[in-house]
Amino acid sequence: MPAPPDLERLYDEHAQALFAFLLNFTRDENDTRDLLQEIFIRLAREPGLLRGARDERAFLIRVAHNAAIDLMRRRGTRQKYHDQFAEDEVSIFATDENPDAVAFREALSRALAELPADQRAVVHLKLWENLTFEEIATALDLSPNTAASRYRYGIDKMRERLRPIYEEIK
Amino acid sequence: MNSDDFEKRLQSQPMRQIPGEWRTQILQGAKQSVPSPLDPRPSFLSTLLWLNPKAWASLAVVWITIFALQFASRSGAPKITTESVPQSSVFWMSLRYEQQTLVELMGNNQPVDADQPPDAGPKPHSERQSKTAAV
Repeated sequence: MPAPPDLERLYDEHAQALFAFLLNFTRDENDTRDLLQEIFIRLAREPGLLRGARDERAFLIRVAHNAAIDLMRRRGTRQKYHDQFAEDEVSIFATDENPDAVAFREALSRALAELPADQRAVVHLKLWENLTFEEIATALDLSPNTAASRYRYGIDKMRERLRPIYEEIK
Repeated sequence: MNSDDFEKRLQSQPMRQIPGEWRTQILQGAKQSVPSPLDPRPSFLSTLLWLNPKAWASLAVVWITIFALQFASRSGAPKITTESVPQSSVFWMSLRYEQQTLVELMGNNQPVDADQPPDAGPKPHSERQSKTAAV
């Protein structure tokens, strides 16, 4: 029987990244917490889950993505859930004392919310996890070309959406 | 708008920090979810029944009722048989009475045994000869 995983270490090393990814993907803090709990319960119950994983972070992001997709399916259709995401105002960025920074982050958060969940996941992993398209493709079960095209579509939409405020505060 | 600058600007935006109290809650929840080796592992049957205990209990009650009814009908079977005996004797008595009435109407006073087969044609010669000798 495999040794029990070091849950504290896994949490300290990966929970922040999983939290940011899940919060950006689900746009709901309660769902994010439930999914994070679900992932750590799985890690505790299946000691061999991470055995053979070359990159723990990429593997856990894949687990988190699958769990979030399952949640979406349980809730209903993907589009319905996406519409619900778009309506919710959730802060995914840190607060700041600079009003320009706050305004830009709020606009960025809204622009991300308007992206389809598939594009949002790729944009998040590329920009804030610094994963390559190959790594994103492995994590989200896509081809690298699909990951690259989703990123390009997503970033173009965000550029258009954020152009006014970006030019203003640059 | 330079593409690289724009992407770098986005990358520089710090993500919100995970709430500190989640660490204890999530790790505690994960550890409590693992069954202790001392605890008996729930069997497949108990896991299955636990999904909807009321429905399974209702089904069990239905089956117990069916078995009870079945058992009651079996134990009542000899009673029905004993009751059927008088009915058959009444039938034979009424049949005998009808045959006797029929014989009286035809002019024969000899009672006919209902169990005896009806007269089947002429008797053998030996029997006739013995009757003639006796007369």
